[in-house]
Amino acid sequence: MSHGFFIWMSYGAAALAVAVEIAGLLVRRSRALARIEEERELETQD
Amino acid sequence: MAWSYFASPATFYRLAGRMAPWFFALAAALALAGLYVAFIVAPTDAQQGEVYRVIFIHVPAAWMSMFIYFVMACYCAVALSFNTRLAAMMARALAPTGAMFTFVALWTGAFWGRPTWGTYWAWDARMTSELVLLFLYFGFIALANAFEDPRRGDRAAALLALIGVVNLPIIYFSVKWWNTLHQGSSVSFKGTSMHVAMLWGMLLMAFAAWMYAIGAALVRVRTIILERERRTQWVRTLVEAGT
Repeated sequence: MSHGFFIWMSYGAAALAVAVEIAGLLVRRSRALARIEEERELETQD
Repeated sequence: MAWSYFASPATFYRLAGRMAPWFFALAAALALAGLYVAFIVAPTDAQQGEVYRVIFIHVPAAWMSMFIYFVMACYCAVALSFNTRLAAMMARALAPTGAMFTFVALWTGAFWGRPTWGTYWAWDARMTSELVLLFLYFGFIALANAFEDPRRGDRAAALLALIGVVNLPIIYFSVKWWNTLHQGSSVSFKGTSMHVAMLWGMLLMAFAAWMYAIGAALVRVRTIILERERRTQWVRTLVEAGT
């Protein structure tokens, strides 16, 4: 196997790991905000 | 202004929101400069050829995996000693980023090891202790989330983090204490055996990783603050205002 394969598997995996982390950060934040909204709406209904 | 002013989640939430984009921008700029040096400026290695360029991602990731754990343990010590909520939240915010860098260090190490050592993995002291670090991060995250009361989770995970600190000198000195397949350090406080362009490429990438880690931790801690403080008036007002 050429050296290019090992280099790009390394940089590709690192870029993917960062992308997954950033996506996870955004998803978690939107879930937290949605939960606050839900609780607020439930309290308003009560 | 007292230092405790910034220990208030409400104050820190706003401060972190203002700081995070700057850290991400700095990380992107440093990474671009680092990649330029790594792939364009740095010469081909006389012994390893082109594959040595994995060093520019492997070493910064390995450094960050240990440094983040150390900072996380410091936050845990502060949280346990002074019972501060924000310190525990910061420790939680750092753990996934630390785990990510540990995974990247192990993965890139494997893909560097195969063409140079002839194997993706060996149970040598450096690699095994780095794998233990990954399990420590996983253990911290799992333990922190295992309790219904987050403050109990904070304390249990903090204890684990403090016990796990013993693994850091083991990782660092493993190549000196034992006969390992892994090479010794190319960079130390005494100097370096590397070409200057290789060193600069590595340092730029390390600073990029550092800035990224701070940015990611700040964004995550803001979410943790929202999750924990969601029933407080200031969070309700904030969400209503859409900020």
